Amino acid sequence: MKSIFLLQLQRLRREPMLLLSMTGMTFLFVFFLGGFGASDQVEVPVYFDQSMNGKEQDILLERLNQSESYRFTETDQKTAEKQVALGDIPFAMKAMPDDYRMLIAADDPNQVLVDQYVKQVYAEELRLQEAESATGETDLRNGVEAALKEAPIGLTTSTAEGESTSGEYSQRNHFLFGMTLFFSIYTIIFSLSKVAEEKRTGTWNRVILSPVRKFHLYIGHLAYSFMIGFLQIVIIFSIFRYGFDYYIGGNIGLMLLTVACYTFAVVALGMLLLGLVNNLEQLNAIVPIVTVSMAMIGGAYWPIEAVSNSILLAMSKIVPVTYGMEALKGLALDQSLSALAQPLAILIVIGVFCMGIGINLMERRA
Amino acid sequence: MLKGESAVLETTNLKKAFKKNVAVSDVNLYLDKGESVGLLGPNGAGKSTAISMISSLVKPSAGDVTWHGKSVVKDPNVIRMHLGVVPQDIALYKELTAVENLRFFGRIYGLRGKELESRMANVLEIVGLTERKNELVKHYSGGMQRRVNIAVALLHEPEIIIMDEPTVGIDPQSRNYILEMVQKLNEEQGMTVLYTSHYMEEVERLCDRIYIMDHGKVIASGTKQELTGILSSEETIWLELDRSYPGLVAELNDMEEILRVIETDKGIKLITPKNSRLLGSIFQAAERQQAQIISLNVQVPTLEDVFLHLTGRKLRD
Repeated sequence: MKSIFLLQLQRLRREPMLLLSMTGMTFLFVFFLGGFGASDQVEVPVYFDQSMNGKEQDILLERLNQSESYRFTETDQKTAEKQVALGDIPFAMKAMPDDYRMLIAADDPNQVLVDQYVKQVYAEELRLQEAESATGETDLRNGVEAALKEAPIGLTTSTAEGESTSGEYSQRNHFLFGMTLFFSIYTIIFSLSKVAEEKRTGTWNRVILSPVRKFHLYIGHLAYSFMIGFLQIVIIFSIFRYGFDYYIGGNIGLMLLTVACYTFAVVALGMLLLGLVNNLEQLNAIVPIVTVSMAMIGGAYWPIEAVSNSILLAMSKIVPVTYGMEALKGLALDQSLSALAQPLAILIVIGVFCMGIGINLMERRA
Repeated sequence: MLKGESAVLETTNLKKAFKKNVAVSDVNLYLDKGESVGLLGPNGAGKSTAISMISSLVKPSAGDVTWHGKSVVKDPNVIRMHLGVVPQDIALYKELTAVENLRFFGRIYGLRGKELESRMANVLEIVGLTERKNELVKHYSGGMQRRVNIAVALLHEPEIIIMDEPTVGIDPQSRNYILEMVQKLNEEQGMTVLYTSHYMEEVERLCDRIYIMDHGKVIASGTKQELTGILSSEETIWLELDRSYPGLVAELNDMEEILRVIETDKGIKLITPKNSRLLGSIFQAAERQQAQIISLNVQVPTLEDVFLHLTGRKLRD
């Protein structure tokens, strides 16, 4: 097994372009789509109702800007209406002491998220005001804020569109996770295509005729594909975590476990594809179709919450990308292992299932 | 001692069927220690399938292969350490050098350290690639790649080497080098060789005994003398013509004394009873058809003629 594994490393050293190009492509896509250190905050122009004085306006603006996801900027009503009418901005907000209005010209996915966030800020403020007036405690607000910092329970909001924690959703993290998982599929499956290539050139049979056991031959190839897929993902995450200040969660161990489960599932999927095709040419034709389709329905290109078609949603349930994205998003929100156990377990089940069928099909063809 | 009594390798009623298509059936052959045996047959005769079963790569549908009396079908490992296989394809990692290929294949046979290095140097010497051992295989000529292909099979010093058409698609010089090398391995080192080819002259040159295969079956076997003895009562008359003469072919076919008429690209081949004194009749027929004879040659039977006699086809059809 060790000899087979080392041989693949030696071949990689001679022909490293596949790994380098896929890692480079991931970097470029995330770099340009997700941003490079600059904020990816959604900007929301706000104009205030005449009933609010300057101090109230400043306090409200400060509270709204406590989120890292949105940046509320003050404007006047005329400018806001003109910009929305001309399509320069997708929406604007009118702030009132106890209420707000959204000025919208066209549908925008961010508007739903902003509306949800603003509603939450207003509701919290109104509750605090009510509590202050009921108890008469002037320091109640500070007490509540201090208690919230060490909250005993966490609350995840489920929206009508899906099981999202939309309020904290980071688009640049989405690009990072999506593009990394997407390009890693290419790396892994194309590295496994060496098996098909070896079968064509006859080196596979030559190794089988040696004292090496077939089990070790498979393990050598699988371990190599797993390693380069795993490394590619970890390198990309490290570059953006430490080089561009992306927050992808604080639990490194759990992150590595998630990447390992996802890589295992994709390696197994690659074995299934190898078992289904007759030759290398067929594999090369099928890989882009499978990879792009999985990325689309698995939520690597856009949030899975944006998909409403029930057939596509059902299909997404058998795709490793779906669970990889779910687990990685959970990690970025600092969810624990117990919260991520389900997607990780499903990735392992997909892996075992695909691996079993894939190797069986390959052996039948032999 | 009877023939085959000291056989190191033997096959019994070997058969391979792919669904309804029977590729090989009832193949019985044996190899004595140090013997060089040829498996001769046209493309598609079932030679490669037969050696895949013999080498334990493919499981037979029926029959058995034994190595020193032990069944290879039941336990492929009984032969694998003692067997070197030279496949028809260049089964090498072309992006690596010859040395890197040899080192990898040596390691999977359990060779390490100085022993591996010394064996590598030895096989590189045998195949004449010591000077160019550090070049990438993909930069080698076809003949050199074939030589590395053979070197890999020799690395673990096998008792028996199976070569599946090892000279396909290479220049005459490289081909001659390989044939000399196989001859040396067999004659000087006593290596048992099973050599498959559709080149009659290679098998004639290298092999002590020959099995002729066609349509998945062994149709004849024996030494070259035994096989050509099949045609001992016949002779071949080779008539070279300037072009094709269908009328002459028809007329020769009508002559009762001629056993077989085969039209080829350059003329007509006639199988006739020995000393049949047919030359006069042949010349008269040619005169009647106004055929221009370039040359006429009366030949002793070759393996090609034997194959022709047995199957009605040429080896390279």
